[in-house]
Amino acid sequence: MQGYLDGRIEAFDALYAAFAGRLRGYLLSQCRDATLADDLLQETFMQIHRSRRTYQPGRPVTPWVYAIARNVYLMKRRSAGRRMRFEEALAADSRTSDGSRDALGTIAEGDAVRRALREVPPDQRQALLMHHVEGWSFVEIATRLGIRVNAAKTRAFRGMKKMREHLK
Amino acid sequence: MSAPKDLRDAIERDLRPTRPLRSPWVRALVLTPLAVAIVLSVPGLRFFRSDMSAIGFVKAWGFSFGQAFAGLVIVAVALRESIPGRGLSRGAIVATVAIGLAIPVALLAVTASAFDVGPAPGQALEEGIGCFRVSAISAIPALVAAAFLAARAFPTRPALAGALYGLGCGLIADAGLRLFCEYTVPSHVLFGHAGAIVAAMAFGAIVAKITRPR
Repeated sequence: MQGYLDGRIEAFDALYAAFAGRLRGYLLSQCRDATLADDLLQETFMQIHRSRRTYQPGRPVTPWVYAIARNVYLMKRRSAGRRMRFEEALAADSRTSDGSRDALGTIAEGDAVRRALREVPPDQRQALLMHHVEGWSFVEIATRLGIRVNAAKTRAFRGMKKMREHLK
Repeated sequence: MSAPKDLRDAIERDLRPTRPLRSPWVRALVLTPLAVAIVLSVPGLRFFRSDMSAIGFVKAWGFSFGQAFAGLVIVAVALRESIPGRGLSRGAIVATVAIGLAIPVALLAVTASAFDVGPAPGQALEEGIGCFRVSAISAIPALVAAAFLAARAFPTRPALAGALYGLGCGLIADAGLRLFCEYTVPSHVLFGHAGAIVAAMAFGAIVAKITRPR
């Protein structure tokens, strides 16, 4: 762990080799989905990396690593719950509005949104779509794009702002 | 088992020597000058209680600085809670909150000779709000500093960590308030003094939720 804090990638490799198997087993026991467990494992190591300064030299590594893994799992579960509620609300909304909505109006609205989206710079558009359409959390976006969480938030926020300006 | 290439590349891109955070106790000590300033400024910017000489140096200054120190210890406990793998057990949480809330009550019991000193008739609400406001506002600088220190770690239970450092900061502010307010009637003490400490806990929990690293 000290080597990792010193900035040596071989130390990260050693940490990964020592914990990846056990952590995957732990995450699998929590979520019972092998693909999701792999994603969570990757996210856990990203979080370990971001939080590495909270490790206190001389203290055991295992409880620290597992606490982070547990937090990653709980955050994922929470964001999945939020996403599900959002999708249910969206489905209920579309069911109630389907009958009354004018089809031509819907098409025109869709075209306007697509045009506005085209005006948004690609990096902002990507973050915006990942968060607002696909329902990814900012941590997930940051991990996927290899950027900081705040950068992911800023991109999505600016993208949304630009889109709103174009829709006015 | 070796790391997937994209993960390893992402880590390698961002990898640089990192200094670990100091222990929670050492980091809480950073707040000492702020705690001293709060204890001194609450009565200093207004006035000291009229019975300062009657209660004596130890019961006035000694107990106040003792309470402020207890507040710092609770902030340190909150900073410890903010480190993954060092979370507190349920018993430790209950004990910390109970002790934190009991300290000002115990100090009041030891300091006061009777519990009937209160605001003039018709002034109870105004005086209560006054003490609540002074205490709550005085806790804010320490709370902001504690929130910054906690957010530098990785609190996995941010609301709990925030409530704990809110309690600590509330105690520090109340340590100054007890040098300024001499009222001992339970209604005033519960609302104006204990209420402000509980409000600091709630505010700390909200701040910690907002500032938690994502």
